[in-house]
Amino acid sequence: MKRIVKYECRRLIWNRFFFGFLGIFLFYGWQVLKHEVLPGVAGTAPFSPWSFGSYLSRMAPFLWAGTLLFLTFFTSRKARRAAVLTDASPADPRRYGLARCAAVLTGAGLLTLACLGEAAFFYGRYVHWGHWETLLAPALTVLPPVLALALGGGWFLGRLRPWLVVLWMALPFLWMALPLPSALGIWNGSFFAEYPLTLGSLDPGFSLPGAVAAAQGAALGVGGIAFWGSFWGNAGRGG
Amino acid sequence: MEFHIQDVTMTYPNGKQALGGLSLRLGSPSLTGLLGPNGAGKSTLIRLLSAALMPSSGVIQLDGAPLKDREMELKSRLGYLPQEFGLFDELTVWQFLDYMAALKGIRDSRAAIRQVLQDVRLEEQAKARIRTLSGGQRQRVGIAQALLGDPELLILDEPTVGLDPEERIHFRNLFSRTAQNRLVLLSTHIIEDVQSVCDHLIVLHRGTILFSGAPERLIQAAAGHVGVFWEQDAPENGEISVTARVHTACGVRCRGVAGVLPSYARPEEPTLEDAYLYLISREVAR
Repeated sequence: MKRIVKYECRRLIWNRFFFGFLGIFLFYGWQVLKHEVLPGVAGTAPFSPWSFGSYLSRMAPFLWAGTLLFLTFFTSRKARRAAVLTDASPADPRRYGLARCAAVLTGAGLLTLACLGEAAFFYGRYVHWGHWETLLAPALTVLPPVLALALGGGWFLGRLRPWLVVLWMALPFLWMALPLPSALGIWNGSFFAEYPLTLGSLDPGFSLPGAVAAAQGAALGVGGIAFWGSFWGNAGRGG
Repeated sequence: MEFHIQDVTMTYPNGKQALGGLSLRLGSPSLTGLLGPNGAGKSTLIRLLSAALMPSSGVIQLDGAPLKDREMELKSRLGYLPQEFGLFDELTVWQFLDYMAALKGIRDSRAAIRQVLQDVRLEEQAKARIRTLSGGQRQRVGIAQALLGDPELLILDEPTVGLDPEERIHFRNLFSRTAQNRLVLLSTHIIEDVQSVCDHLIVLHRGTILFSGAPERLIQAAAGHVGVFWEQDAPENGEISVTARVHTACGVRCRGVAGVLPSYARPEEPTLEDAYLYLISREVAR
């Protein structure tokens, strides 16, 4: 299946669409870094976990959308026409689906790396700062639940109806516009801008309220279950 | 390899019955032609034989065991070209075939790909992206992926659509050579494609088998029912079904089939096309 992963990566990543999306993604990230992170979020330093977390929160919907755009390579009408050939092969549908999933994860991983690399470049160049280990906690809080829920949910929904992937893609943008409960503050960016102000100290250390941690854990869990359901619960062809 | 189809019916969820009570034996080596008008049930039968569909009722056996229990075994022995298919436009021809070879579990994919590219005459396009290919070249990529790995069973649904006449002849001969030690099922509505190469012919109409046997038998059955005549000699609404009209200096020369040839028609030796049209017209007239 290594060859399948290689060719799927080539299909998903080596095209104008990916590089165009990456360009927009990085441009947007740069604007967030320059205009929101540099002045510092919630009165904290630009390199504080809160400011960095705010940046990741703003990038998360694009990361979500990018991951699901990769998935549309397997759910589009064109892809379904090609599936009549691949379905006739003796390949194990579950292994084939997992190989395709690995390609999507590679693409999503590249977008994540681009997002983190851009922040690293920004901090190094403009703030002359490099204590990356302090930023690990907000990165782990924001990114894995986003990627798990996007991919797991998208894969599951895409197998039911391909157009559901497009609806799923729009979800985080909808959340950005909605007044979500504080436990879901990471999903609309409000958590990093508001929570540090309630801690009553200047530039507080990173901490996570139980409700927010539970919400992120639930997102990770739901994504994982949806993913499991796509492959092991009556598994079919990937995508 | 042998298929035994017993009383198979296929009704789609929308209620349309595509096949009704079909019984048939197919065994290798053979190049079996599947003929029939649009909507006769050819593609449905092909999808059933490639395990892409399950019959509503009846049994399909592969080498004595139910096909549903041998799906993976069937797929490991199958080369399949559906009527409509898509390719990965982002890949080159070679990469796509390598992708399919990986799915088919072919170890020495380089040699296998080189062989099928040669068979379908696409060596020069090996490095071309699929999106740059013409319709005929895409069709040939489809045939190439079906031939990959020398499958024991080759199911080809309208394989020569979009190919020019010279290519069609080339592929006819290729399928004929392939069928020397395999089972090749060739579905088409182009009678020329089966005329010269098939040893077994199945004619489907409205989901049932009208004929199954050697093409010569079908031709023999049409003897005395095919004639030629001048159009001006025939009355309007004549009892003969016109199958061909040729404009000549002396008028329009027609060829036709009828249960009883009228006196103005001169009997002719039937071709497979005549025989097929006679069979279908007889069925339509019922």
